[in-house]
Amino acid sequence: METFIRIIRLGYNNFWRNRWLTLGATLLMALTLTMISVSLIISFIIRDTADAVRSSINLSVYFRDDAITLESIKALQNRIDLIPNVVATDYIDKEEALQIFQRLPLNKNVKEPITSEFNPLPRSLEIETKDVEQLEATVAAISQADSDKIICDECLSYTKNKEIVDRLIASTRTAQQAGWLLSIFFGLIAIFNVYNIIRLTITARSDEIEIMRYVGASNAFIRGPFIVEGIFYGLLGTAATTLLVPLLAAIISQYQGASGLTTLGSAAGVLNTSFFNYVIDHLGSLVLTQLVIGVVLGVLVSAISIRRYLRA
Amino acid sequence: MTDILNIGSTLPAAPTVVEAPDKVPLIELRHVTKQYTANAALKDVSISISEGEFVCLVGQSGVGKTTLIKLLTRQEAPTSGQIFVAGRNLADLRNSEVPFYRRKIGVIFQDFKLLPQKTVWENVAFALEVCGVPDAEIKRRCDKVIDLVGLGRKKKSYPHELSGGERQRTAIARALVHSPKILIADEPTGNLDPINTWEIVELLFRINSRGTTVILATHNRQVVDRMQRRVILMKSGKLISDQKSGKYVI
Repeated sequence: METFIRIIRLGYNNFWRNRWLTLGATLLMALTLTMISVSLIISFIIRDTADAVRSSINLSVYFRDDAITLESIKALQNRIDLIPNVVATDYIDKEEALQIFQRLPLNKNVKEPITSEFNPLPRSLEIETKDVEQLEATVAAISQADSDKIICDECLSYTKNKEIVDRLIASTRTAQQAGWLLSIFFGLIAIFNVYNIIRLTITARSDEIEIMRYVGASNAFIRGPFIVEGIFYGLLGTAATTLLVPLLAAIISQYQGASGLTTLGSAAGVLNTSFFNYVIDHLGSLVLTQLVIGVVLGVLVSAISIRRYLRA
Repeated sequence: MTDILNIGSTLPAAPTVVEAPDKVPLIELRHVTKQYTANAALKDVSISISEGEFVCLVGQSGVGKTTLIKLLTRQEAPTSGQIFVAGRNLADLRNSEVPFYRRKIGVIFQDFKLLPQKTVWENVAFALEVCGVPDAEIKRRCDKVIDLVGLGRKKKSYPHELSGGERQRTAIARALVHSPKILIADEPTGNLDPINTWEIVELLFRINSRGTTVILATHNRQVVDRMQRRVILMKSGKLISDQKSGKYVI
C-alpha cells in the first residue's frame, strides 16, 4: 500500500515538476481528443443525416382507375404487408391526397384548379421500407403481389425515380464511408502526436530512469509513475476537451444559423437541430468516449515508450 | 587554511595490506570477452576478488574499465566467458532478479548522477523508496548513512548548492544505503579537485574498513600510488598486471 501511494505520488510529482513538457503533452492530448471527437461527431451527424434521408425514401403505388374497388386495394395492402422488407403501409384516399397536395410548395396557378369538386389525384398506398438497399427486390415483390394488375403502369414511384433514388442511396453510403475514413485519418495523426510527446517527456527523464535502475528499482516501480502520468494526461485532456468541443460547436452553430451554407450545418439542418444542440445532446457519451480513449492512449503510449528503458 | 594546503601530508597513512584469507572469491571473472564492434572492449579477462578487498582498476580512458563495470552491474552480458558474484553466475540471473542483485552492489560515477530537483536526503531516500522500503525504515537508514559520509548538516541542500566532493559523498551515501557487499566506483574523482579527491578516497577507505569490498576504477596515478592496495592494470581490453600492493606503472 505504501508502495502504491508512493508510485502515485511520484507520478504526480513528475507531472508538476516538468510543467512545460506536461503542459505540452496535456494540450496535445486535448487536441487529439478534440480532433477525434469532432471527426466522430461529424461522422455521426453524417450517419444520422444519411439515415434520415434513407428513411424518407418511401414507396408509393397509385391506383388511377376509379373502377378499382376499395376491397381489392385493401386485399393488395394486406399482401404487401407480408413482404419482409415492408414496415408499414398506409392507404391514402382522394381526400387525403388533396390535403397533401395543398401542402406542397407549389405555384398557386397549379394548386388552385384542383379542388374537392375537381380532384384528379389518384388513391395510393404509402409503403415504408426497412432497408433502402433492398428497394429493388421489394418493388419486384410488390409487383408480384399485384396479381390483379390494379396498380397502373409506371405507377410504382420507384420505377419512375429509379435513377435519382439509386444515386441518393449511393451518395449517403459514400458520405458515411468518407466520415469514417476522416475519423480514422485524424485519429491516427493525433495518436502519433501524443505518442511523440509522451516519449519526449520520458526521454527528458532518462537520467532519472537510469538512476532508478542503478539503485535497484524493480521494473514495475519504474513503470508505475509514468503510467500514472499517462492517466493524468488522459484525465486532463478530457477535461479540456469537454470545455473546448461545446465551445467549437456553439461557434459553428452561429454560422449555421446565419448562412446555412456549411455542409455540416445543412446536414445538422436535415436532422432539425443545431450543431451545438447535437453536441449537447450527446455530451455524456462523448465525454465517456474521450475519457476511455484518453486514458487508454496515455497509459498505452507511456507503457510502450518506457519499455526500451527497462531492458535489463 | 594551512592544513588544507598541506592536504597531502594530512592524509591518513595507508593501512597495511592484510592478506585476504583463502576462500571462495566474492567476484570472479573467467575468461570474459566483450565485443561491441570488430575490436573487443574486453579480451579474455580473468580476475578474482575476495570479500573485503580494495581493488584499484587502472588504465587510460577507453581500456575497458567501464565495460567491466557494466558487466558487473549486469547492464550488459559478456560475449563469452562467465562472471560469478557470491558464487552465482550472472548469466543465470532472471530479469526479475536483476533489481535485487543491484541492491547488493553500490555504484558511484564521475558525474555523480544525482537528481537535481531532490535534496541530499531525498536523493538518498529515493534509492530506498523505489525498492519499497517502509518510510520509518527509510528515515532511520538515510540519517545513518548521511552521517557516515559527513553530510549531516547539508541533508536539506540541493545538489547545485554542494561542492563536487559533497555531491560525490551524497552519491556514496546513496550507494551505501542498501548496505551493499560491493561498492563500485567508476572514476569517482574524475571531476574533483585534489582536496575533494582525497576526501573521497579517504571515505572509500573507511567504507572498505567496515567490510565492504571496494572496486575503484581510476586513471589518477597519484591516488593509486598513495593507496598501496591491489592494482589491476588494463590496456586495450586486456589485463596487463595484477599486483597485491602496487603502483600505477605502465
